[in-house]
Amino acid sequence: MSEEKNVLSRRTVLKGAAIGGAGLAAGGALSAGTATSARAAGADIHWTTRGGGDTGDKIAKAVNDAFTAKTGTKVIAQQVNSDDFQNNFAQIMQGSPDDAFGWMAGWRSNHYGEAGLLADVTAQNKALTSLPASAVQAATNPVDKKQYIIPTTYYPWGLHYRKSMVKKIGMNPEKIQHWDDLIKMMTLTKKNGLVAYAMGDKQGWEAMGTFDILNARVNGYKYHIDLLNGRAKWTDAKTKETFKYFAQLIPFMNPNFMDIDWDGCRDLLLQKMCGAMMMGSWFANDFKAKSQADYNDLWVVPFPEINKAHGIDTIDAPLDGISVAAHGKNVEGGKALAQFWGSKEGINAAIGAGDTNIYVSKDFDSSGYDAFGKQKLAVLGSAKNIMFFADRDSRGDFAGPILGPALQSFMKNPKNVNKILENTQAQWEALPKN
Amino acid sequence: MSAGVVQSEEYRNNQKRKDGFISIFIGIFAFVWIFPILWTVFTSLRPYNDVISYGIFSWPRHINFNNYVNAVKEMHIGIYLTNSLIVTVPSVILTLFFGSLIAFVVTRYQFKFNLWLLLLFTAGNMLPIVLTYIPVFWMFLWVGDQLGNRNLLYNNYAGLILVHVGFQVGFATFVLSSYMKTIPKEISESAKIDGANVFRHYWNVILPLLRPALAALSVLMSTWIYNEFFWALVLMSDDSKRPITSALRRLQGQYVTDFNLLAAGAIIAASPTVILFFVLRKQFIAGLTLGSTKG
Repeated sequence: MSEEKNVLSRRTVLKGAAIGGAGLAAGGALSAGTATSARAAGADIHWTTRGGGDTGDKIAKAVNDAFTAKTGTKVIAQQVNSDDFQNNFAQIMQGSPDDAFGWMAGWRSNHYGEAGLLADVTAQNKALTSLPASAVQAATNPVDKKQYIIPTTYYPWGLHYRKSMVKKIGMNPEKIQHWDDLIKMMTLTKKNGLVAYAMGDKQGWEAMGTFDILNARVNGYKYHIDLLNGRAKWTDAKTKETFKYFAQLIPFMNPNFMDIDWDGCRDLLLQKMCGAMMMGSWFANDFKAKSQADYNDLWVVPFPEINKAHGIDTIDAPLDGISVAAHGKNVEGGKALAQFWGSKEGINAAIGAGDTNIYVSKDFDSSGYDAFGKQKLAVLGSAKNIMFFADRDSRGDFAGPILGPALQSFMKNPKNVNKILENTQAQWEALPKN
Repeated sequence: MSAGVVQSEEYRNNQKRKDGFISIFIGIFAFVWIFPILWTVFTSLRPYNDVISYGIFSWPRHINFNNYVNAVKEMHIGIYLTNSLIVTVPSVILTLFFGSLIAFVVTRYQFKFNLWLLLLFTAGNMLPIVLTYIPVFWMFLWVGDQLGNRNLLYNNYAGLILVHVGFQVGFATFVLSSYMKTIPKEISESAKIDGANVFRHYWNVILPLLRPALAALSVLMSTWIYNEFFWALVLMSDDSKRPITSALRRLQGQYVTDFNLLAAGAIIAASPTVILFFVLRKQFIAGLTLGSTKG
C-alpha cells in the first residue's frame, strides 16, 4: 500500500494522455503546416553543413549570408553529423533532402550521381573559370562524363614527423626523399627505443593511406586506380611487389596498431614517442593547441620515392566540394548556391569566417599561410596525379568491408600475403556488377 | 546447553565471514560496473589538450568544468531537449494507453484468438528494429505522397512518435496483461453484474488498479525512448528536429573528436534519465519484477 502513494494518480496520467494526444495531433498539424509553407515556396534554398560544430555553422552562415546579400534569396542552413549524413546518404537523398550540401568527390559523388540522386553541375563548373582543369577532371564521373560535384577544398596525405627528432638522430629533416632515407630514419628511431612508423588501424581505413601511396610509388597512379576498379588483379606480381614494401614497414610499427585509432598515432607524435606517421594533414591544430613550439616542430613531406619511373608524382589528396540534391525542392537555387560556394566571393567569405581548408580554386589566396601551411601546399604541388584515398577511388562496398580487413590481416600476419590477396581478388569478383 | 551456545556463536562467526566475503565480492562487481561512469566523469573534467599531450592514463595536470561550459554552449541543448520532450511524452502516454487497451481485452474477455493476439504483439518485439528500417522509411514516404505532403510522417515529430508507439506497444501489452492477470476475476464479474459496459469496465474498474504497473512502465519507456537514437536519425532529415542524442553528435567532428568534451556532453545528456530514476526509483524496481510471479 505504501507504494501506492508514490504512484502517479490516475487523474494525472489521464490528463497527460489527453494533453499528449492533443499535442500529437497539434504537433503533426503544426509541423506539417510549417513544412509545406517552407518547402513548397520554392524560393528559399536549404543547405546542409556537414559537421564542424560552431565553426562550421559560422562559416556556412558567412557564405550563405553573402549569397543572400548578392541574390536576395534566403538560405536556410542546418548542421548534421558528418558520419551520420554519409551513412544515411541514400535515404536522405530519396526523402526530402536539402538542396545543396558539402560532399566528397570520387566514387561517393559519381555513384550517387549515376543513381540519379545528385544533380548534374557540369555547367556550374564550366562557369567557374578559376577552377583548375585537373580539379574539374578529378570531379568528373569517368562513366558518363558528367560532374556531380563542384570541387572546393582538399588536403594532402603525407609523411609527418618532428623536425627536432630527425635532427637528433643525425638526419636532415628536409631531405627524407628516398625509400632508403625512410628506412634509415626508422632504423635510427627504433634504436632509440621509439616507435618508428606509427600505425593505428583499429577502424580499418587508416592503413589504406599507407597502402595507396606504396602502390602508387611502386606501380604508379594508373595501376593503382586500375587495381581499385577491377582492371588489374590483386594477385598480380605487381601488387605483390607493393606488399613486399609494406611488409618492410611492419617491424617498425607499434605492435598495438589494431587497438588504436588514427588519433592514437597523433598522440604518439605529439608526445614524441614515434618517428614518422603517414596521415592526412588535418590535425596540425592539435599541435598548435599544445604549444607554438610543438607546432613549429611539426613537418610534412611527400612519401619518399621508391620507383624512379614514378618518382613522387602521385598523392592522396581527398577532394571535397558542393553537391546538389536531384530531388530537392529548389534544384536551380541549389545549383546557384553551390556555384557561389566555389566562387571567389564564396571562398573569401568562408576564409573570413575562419575556414582553414586549402581551396583548389586559383582565386584562393594562400599568402597568409605559415611555414607548415606553405609546406602542405608544396606537398600538394609536388604531385601531378591526385588519388582520393582508397575508399573514394574504389567502390564503397569494396574499400570498407573487404580491403580494410584484408590490410588488417596482412599487418597481423604478413607471411600470409598470397592467401590474403587471393581472398581479396575472390571477394572483388563476388561483388554484384552494377 | 553450553554446547548449543558455542555452536551458535561459531555459526554466527561463520555467517559473519560469509557476509564479509559476499560484501567484498559485491563491492568488486559494483566497482567494475561503475568504473566506466566514473572514468567518464574523470575524463569530462580534464582538458583535451592535457590528454593528448600526456596520454589518457597520465596524472591530470588540470581539473576544471570548462568542458561542461563548452558542451552546453556547443550542444544547443535547449532545442534538442525540447525535441526529446515533444517525442517522449506523447509516445509514452500513447503506448501505455494502447497497450492497456489491448491487454484489457485479451485478459478480461475470452476470444478464440486471444493467445494468438498476445503472441503477435509480443513476437513483434523480437524483430530487430534495423530490419524494419527500410520498409518503414518507404511506407512513411508513400503515405506522405498519397496525402500530398511528403513530410507528413517522414521528417516529422508525428512519424517518430508513431514509430515509437508501434514498437513499444508490444512490450507494454505483454507486461500489462501479465499484471492484469493478477487482478481477481471477481472484480470484473461484479462490474459486469452492476451493469458496467466495456469501456466503463476498462476506464473505471481496471485502469485504476493498473496504476503501479503503468507508473513502472512509464519510467522504463521514458528512459528507452529518451535514449533512442536510431529512428530519430533515419526518420528525421532535419537535425533541428532530432532529440538530445543528436546534440551529442554535434560534438563529434569528421576527423578530430574531443572526447573530453564529448564525455561532458554525455553526462549532461544522461542526467535527466538519472534524475528520473532517483525520483521514481521505487517504480523502477517494481517495473523490473513486474509480472515475474505470473504470466
